[in-house]
Amino acid sequence: MHIVIAGAGEVGSHLAKMLSNEEHDLVVIDNDGDRLKTIGSTLDVMTIEGNANSITQLKEAKISKADLLISVTSSEDVNVNSAILSKRLGAKKTIARIDNQEYLLPANKEIFENLGVDYMIYPEKIAAREIVGLLSETGSTEVVEFGGGKLHMYVIRLDQDAPIINKSLRELAPENNGLEYRAVAITRHAKTIVPTGDDRFQNGDLVYVISSKSGLKQLYKYSGKKQFEVRDIMILGGSRIGRKTADALGNQHYVKLIEKDRQHSYALSNMLSNTLVIHGDGTDMRLLREEGLEKMDAFIAVTGNAETNILSCLLAKHLGVKRTIAEVENMDYIPLAEHIGVDTIINKKLITASRIFRFTMAEEVTSIKCLTGTEAEVMEFIVKPGAPATSGTLAEIEFPREAIVGGVIRGKNAFIAHGETHIKPYDRVVVFALPGVIHTIGKFFN
Amino acid sequence: MLNRRTIIQILGVILITEGFFMWLAVPVALIFGESDYLNFLLAGAITISAGLGAYLPLRKSALKLNRRDGYVIVTGAWVLFSLFGTLPFLITRSIPNFTDAFFETISGFTTTGASILNNIEDLSHGVLFWRSLIQWLGGMGIILLTLLLLPFLGIGGMQLFSAEVPSPTPDKLHPHIKDTAKRLWLIYLLFTLSETMLLWAGDMGLYDAICHSLTTMATGGYSTKQASIAHWNSPYIHYVITVFMFLAGTNFTLAYFGMHGQFRKIWNNEEFRWYIGFIGGFTLLVTIGLFFTGGGGLEPAFRNALFQVVSILTTTGYTTADYMLWAPWLMVLIFILMFFGGSSGSTGGGPKIMRIVVMLKNSTQELKRMIHPNALIPVRLNKMAVEESVVTSVLAFMAFYGLIAGISMAVMAALGNDLDTSIGAVAATLGNIGPGIGKVGPALNFSEIHMAGKWFLSFLMLVGRLELFTVLVLLSPTFWRR
Repeated sequence: MHIVIAGAGEVGSHLAKMLSNEEHDLVVIDNDGDRLKTIGSTLDVMTIEGNANSITQLKEAKISKADLLISVTSSEDVNVNSAILSKRLGAKKTIARIDNQEYLLPANKEIFENLGVDYMIYPEKIAAREIVGLLSETGSTEVVEFGGGKLHMYVIRLDQDAPIINKSLRELAPENNGLEYRAVAITRHAKTIVPTGDDRFQNGDLVYVISSKSGLKQLYKYSGKKQFEVRDIMILGGSRIGRKTADALGNQHYVKLIEKDRQHSYALSNMLSNTLVIHGDGTDMRLLREEGLEKMDAFIAVTGNAETNILSCLLAKHLGVKRTIAEVENMDYIPLAEHIGVDTIINKKLITASRIFRFTMAEEVTSIKCLTGTEAEVMEFIVKPGAPATSGTLAEIEFPREAIVGGVIRGKNAFIAHGETHIKPYDRVVVFALPGVIHTIGKFFN
Repeated sequence: MLNRRTIIQILGVILITEGFFMWLAVPVALIFGESDYLNFLLAGAITISAGLGAYLPLRKSALKLNRRDGYVIVTGAWVLFSLFGTLPFLITRSIPNFTDAFFETISGFTTTGASILNNIEDLSHGVLFWRSLIQWLGGMGIILLTLLLLPFLGIGGMQLFSAEVPSPTPDKLHPHIKDTAKRLWLIYLLFTLSETMLLWAGDMGLYDAICHSLTTMATGGYSTKQASIAHWNSPYIHYVITVFMFLAGTNFTLAYFGMHGQFRKIWNNEEFRWYIGFIGGFTLLVTIGLFFTGGGGLEPAFRNALFQVVSILTTTGYTTADYMLWAPWLMVLIFILMFFGGSSGSTGGGPKIMRIVVMLKNSTQELKRMIHPNALIPVRLNKMAVEESVVTSVLAFMAFYGLIAGISMAVMAALGNDLDTSIGAVAATLGNIGPGIGKVGPALNFSEIHMAGKWFLSFLMLVGRLELFTVLVLLSPTFWRR
C-alpha cells in the first residue's frame, strides 16, 4: 500500500513506526524538519518537509497513487482540508483526525462523505468510551471484545496473592481442563513473550488471556482478582476525555470532576448536570483528600500532564482506591507507570493508531487492537476457504512461534483454541501476534 | 555498545558478494583463452568462504544497528573489500607485491584511478577486467549494493546509506531504501550499457568499450591502455567519454527525474547549473590558452580542454593530453579543479560542487553581513534558505579537507618526495582523481612512491571516498567512549 501520513506528531510518528515495513510505502509530511529527521533516520520511510495543505507537496508525495491518506496534524482544519484535497487529487481513502463532536453526528456524515473525508477519528471520544468500558470490568487492566462479545481478551496483572504464581502453564493445564480461557502471552519487564508449557507465572506479570464470557469467573479466581461494583468515581481534569467520560458515567455513578481553570469549571458544570464539578488544582493532594479520594471506587486522572496523572493515581492507590486509570501521552512512561502500580494507562495515540491501523490491513482482518503495555497486537481474522490454516490442526500447520491463535468463533459458538483445534473456513479467529510477525500471519488465513 | 555480531554478519555478506563478482572475471579469461581463469576461481572461492565463515555462525542472531555500527560497517566494508580485492592481483602474480596490490585495489574501489602499473598492456584480459569492475562497484557504492541484496537491512539501512553516499544531504527516490538503491543501480547500469554501445560503435573493441564504460561511470579512470584515452586518436571516442564523465558527475536523482520526463526539476537544481557553469568557464579559459600556446586548431584545443576539465572536475582522471606540458597558468587551473569534485549524489569524489557553492555564497554573504550587522542574510540554494547547521557542517567539511590536505602534503614531503609530487599526490588521492602533478602527473604514475607513502595515500583515498567524517569519526576518542 502507498500510504501518506500528514503530521509527524506523536500519533503520526507512532503510525509510521507501526506501518513501516516491506509491504507499505510510507511518505510522511510535516513542516517540522527536525521531527522528520528523527523519523527519517530511524524508519525506512520517505519524508517531505512542507505543509499537508499544499497541493504541490501532496503531489510530491504521489498522492494520486496513494491508497490511504492519514491526516493527523495537531490542527483539525489542516486535517480535514488535507483529506479533501487528497481525495480530489486521487487518494483512494482518507482519514482525518478531528476534535469536534458535531462532525461525527450521523446527520452530518453525508456532508463529509461528499467532501471526500472517508473517515474521521476523534481520539478523545474513543478514549472516553474505553474508560467507561474498563470500569465495568474491574478485574482486568484492559479488555478487548471479539465476535460481537462472544470472546474477550482480558489483560490481568498478577500480584502476590494470585494462586497461579510460580506455577507453569503445564502444571495448570490438568486443573484447567475444559476451562473457558487460555493465557496467550505474558509481558514481563516490558518484554512480551508467547509462553510455552514450561513458562511460569511471576509476580507482576501482565497476562493476556482469551476467554469466553462464562470463563471470566474462574479466570478471576485463579488470578486472585475480584470483580467489584464501581459507584463513586473521581475524575481529575476537565479535558475533552474527562468531560466525555463524566457525561457517559454521570447517570449511573456518583462522579466528581476536578478542574483547575475556574472559567472552564463553570462551563463544565453547565454541561454536566449529573456531575459535581469542583474547581481546584489536581496536584494539591490536600484537596484530593478533602474531596474524599480514599472513599472512591475509581480514580481517573486525565489532565494534560502525564506526571500529574501518574502521581495522583499513585496517591489514590496508596489511599486504597481499587481502580486507577491515568492518561499518559508520553510513550516512554507507560511501562514505568504500569510497573509502579497504576492499574490502567490510557493513551490517545495508541487508541487512534489502533483505529487507523485497521485500514491498512488486508480485508480478512476484521478488527485489530494495539495494546498499551506491549508492542504486540491482537487481531480478529475471517478464515477464507482453502487457507493454509485449514489444512490441519493448529499443531500441524507450523504457525509462527511469535504468534498464537487464542480462540475461534464458529457460527454462534465460541471456543478456546488448543493444539488439536482444526480451523474451518469462515471461522473467525482471534490471534495474538508479536510485532515481528504481524504482517506475515495474514497469509495463514487467506 | 557496538553490536559486534551484526557488524560481522553484514561484513560477511559483503565479502560473499565480492567473491561472486570475482567469478565474473572467469568467463572473460575463458573467452580470451587465458589460463588464469583458475586463479579467479580460487580468489572468488577464498573470498566467499571467508564471507560464509563470518556470516553462517551468526546468521540466526537478530540484526541490531545503531549509529556507531553504521560507521564501523561502512569503513570496515571498504577496507575488507579492498583487502580481499587484492587476491586476483596477487594470485595471478600480476602485482606480486602486497603493498602495490592493495594500493591498486583501494585506488580502484575508491574510484581514484591512481595506478602503480607500468605495464598495463602486458596484463591478462581477466585481470584488467577485474581492475575495471572494482571501480564500477566502488562508484555506486558497496553498501548501496548490499542494501539491494539484503532485504532484512530495511530500517538500519538509512544510516548506512547516509554514511556512504557522497552527498551532504542524501535524497531518497522511494519510501523504501531498498527501492531507492534499486533505482540508483538501474540508472547506473543503463548509463554503463549505453556508453558501451556508443564506444563499441566507434573504433573501440567490445572488451575495451566495456572496461572503459565501467570506469567512466564510476568516475574512476582506470584504462586498459598505458596511454589512457590518448591511445585512441578519435574525436568521437573523446566526445562520447566526455559526455558520460559529465553524466557520472551529475546527481543521479536528476537522472531519475530526467527518465521520468521532469526536465524542469533538473534545470531548477542550482547545483546542476553551477556544475555546468564551472565546466563551461574552465573549458573556455583552457581552450583559449591551448589555442594560443599549443599551435593546433581550434577544435583539438577545445576537445582537449573540455576532456581534461571534465575529467579532473568529475574526478575521473582519464587524460587525452599531458597537462604537465601545458603553460603554467593552465596547469594551475587544472590544479584548482582538483578541489571541486562532482555533484552531490554522483559517483564523483572531491568536496562536491554543492559544498563549494555553499562555501562561496557564505563567504560573499559575510561581506554583506559586515555592512548590515543586524540583517538576516541566509545562504540560499535552490531559492531556499540553507539551514544554519548545514552551512556549519559544510564549512567544517571544507576546513577538515584543507587541514587533511595540508598535513598530508607535509607528510608526503617528509617521506622524500619533491614539492610538486607531494602536493599533486595528495590532491589526486584525497579527491579520488587519479593523476596528480609532478612525478605523479598523467604521463607517469605512483609506482615510484615510497612504500610508506603508498599506504598513507591509500588511507587518504578511503578518507576522501567516504567524505572524511565516516572514517575520521572512528579515530575520535568520543566514538569509543561509552
